[in-house]
Amino acid sequence: MDDAAAIEKCLKGEKEAFRFLVERYQKQAVGHAVAILGNREDALDAVQEAFIDAFGSLKKFDRTRKLYPWFYVLLRHRCFKMTARKSATENIEDTEILAARAAGMPDEERFALEKALLALEEEDREIIALKYLDGLSYEELAEHLQIPRGTVMSRLFYVRKQLQAKLSGKFH
Amino acid sequence: MNEMNCENVLMAKMAEIDGEETEISSEQMNLHFANCENCCQEIEQIRFTDILLKRQTRREQEADLWSAIEKQIGARAASQIGWKPFVLLGVLLSACKLLEMVPERDFGLAFKLVPLAFVVALFVFLKENPFKINAELSAREIKL
Repeated sequence: MDDAAAIEKCLKGEKEAFRFLVERYQKQAVGHAVAILGNREDALDAVQEAFIDAFGSLKKFDRTRKLYPWFYVLLRHRCFKMTARKSATENIEDTEILAARAAGMPDEERFALEKALLALEEEDREIIALKYLDGLSYEELAEHLQIPRGTVMSRLFYVRKQLQAKLSGKFH
Repeated sequence: MNEMNCENVLMAKMAEIDGEETEISSEQMNLHFANCENCCQEIEQIRFTDILLKRQTRREQEADLWSAIEKQIGARAASQIGWKPFVLLGVLLSACKLLEMVPERDFGLAFKLVPLAFVVALFVFLKENPFKINAELSAREIKL
């Protein structure tokens, strides 16, 4: 079954088809939510809420588009709603944005980088994660974040500058 | 954006490194870098962060959310039944009562069962078990 067939079935009220979509995208969605919220527990709640929102608004989904970028907009909305409700708990032990083994990178350096990422604003961390961990192009970033391409370019530039400032002196 | 100040050139250079098209050409950028030591230093530092980030991968996230999502979808669907079936039931019950009040007309004993039939029909339509609480309690009692 592909996304289009699953969506068709969901619209006919088949819950199992929605299960297919949840199981297909949940890991990716949790990864994205963790990158925004910096906290796995909140991320799981946000993803769950976003899937329920998606189920309720599938009727409005433009089926000429890909499903995940549409779902991502719902997900980030949920994440930012959650961050507005409570201040993010920034605990390095609880966060798992980066994979444990980056090629030739000592753990201390990865921790420093993860800590620098966590010190960023949620929206800044989000754009960096989408760019570097998902490898999205500026065009795709613009679609996911619903901002113009020029804004993607400038935001990426300033966030990289911020990260560079946070990391200066931590390496070499 | 194509104004040739330091910030725009640095931004364009990073976009070029990202493999994106920019409004400032490579020649224009190189010319600027040749004459601006600050920009050369700054781009080197940002480039270092860029290389560091490029070596990272996202940590795999285990998740199995379906059972929780399924429950919530079910609960939401139930709460979305709305007021219309209940208004309809009210109208039908009132109509029955009014018919009963018509003088010198006796619809018989069977007619008195019509309101009960409406109520049962509504619960069947809503797929609701009005005795659910008791059913759950008895199941728990059986387990105990």
